[in-house]
Amino acid sequence: MKRSDARVLVVGAGGLGNPCALALARAGVGTLRICDDDVVEATNLHRQILFDDTSVGKPKLDEIARALDGMTRVELERTRFLPATARALLDGCHLVVEGSDNFPTKFLVCDACAIARVPVVHAAAVRLHGTALAVGADGAPCYRCVFEDVPRGAVANCETAGVLGPVVGVVGALQADLALAMLDGRDVGGWFVSYDAKTDVLRRAKMHARADCAACTRRIDDLDERRYKG
Amino acid sequence: METTVRIPAPLRTLTGGKDEVIAAGATVGELIDDLDKKHPGIKDRLLDEKGVRRFVNIYVGEEDVRFLDGLRTELRAGDKVSIVPAIAGG
Repeated sequence: MKRSDARVLVVGAGGLGNPCALALARAGVGTLRICDDDVVEATNLHRQILFDDTSVGKPKLDEIARALDGMTRVELERTRFLPATARALLDGCHLVVEGSDNFPTKFLVCDACAIARVPVVHAAAVRLHGTALAVGADGAPCYRCVFEDVPRGAVANCETAGVLGPVVGVVGALQADLALAMLDGRDVGGWFVSYDAKTDVLRRAKMHARADCAACTRRIDDLDERRYKG
Repeated sequence: METTVRIPAPLRTLTGGKDEVIAAGATVGELIDDLDKKHPGIKDRLLDEKGVRRFVNIYVGEEDVRFLDGLRTELRAGDKVSIVPAIAGG
């Protein structure tokens, strides 16, 4: 597919969504559909590179649209990726880049993309560590193959544990790189890349489909919200 | 046999900040037992009563032990073991 013909859904306009969206726009992706319902906070500015002091208190979508103006077509969806909104958000999209800050959304995106057969690149970053996982349109191996199910109880995220600004920059760029590879027709499905900012070591492993994975064996065929409680 | 184990950032509080440590064992299970003797508490972060915790992956080289022989996966000279936990955030 020509990049200029592609519509990519960006889930989350935060620390990962900012550099990833910028890289995709600059690389010639025709349309970015971005979903988020948050506003910019001063504590975001060290890592959400498309925002500045004047952005604080404003919707992230408006600020990211302002920053990307003239680079690509931007579709703004003022919602989170939820069981009730997932299908409409995915409609017409050729690929998803998911950079949400919570596990329920990651698993929901995984399942929704598996059902819709849309490729997705998941990414995450906390403290000095980040990861990116590419999942092809065939859905296997997927996020559930690797991490199985939504963790219960308290887990660390950027809000509770913090993240170093450059870490999300590196991981967001990696996420965009994997997304572009898939749009260009390269087979990177199953690639899992991890970045350790303490040692500046980047590692890549090829994941395998899990035989009993509920998502890529199509046993999950709906988006029942009870499945996505953290 | 001694094996190098790569420790992810969230578990380095248990290894004194070290990103790589050495532990001994002929299998992954024995390795984790020895790791826990040297760094108490780490086994509980990696395993539950069913085996490797759902949100943690343990690799020998580039292979997830779930796709090898689990905790009975045998280690060979030169193997490196990596621990990769699930993370959310951005």
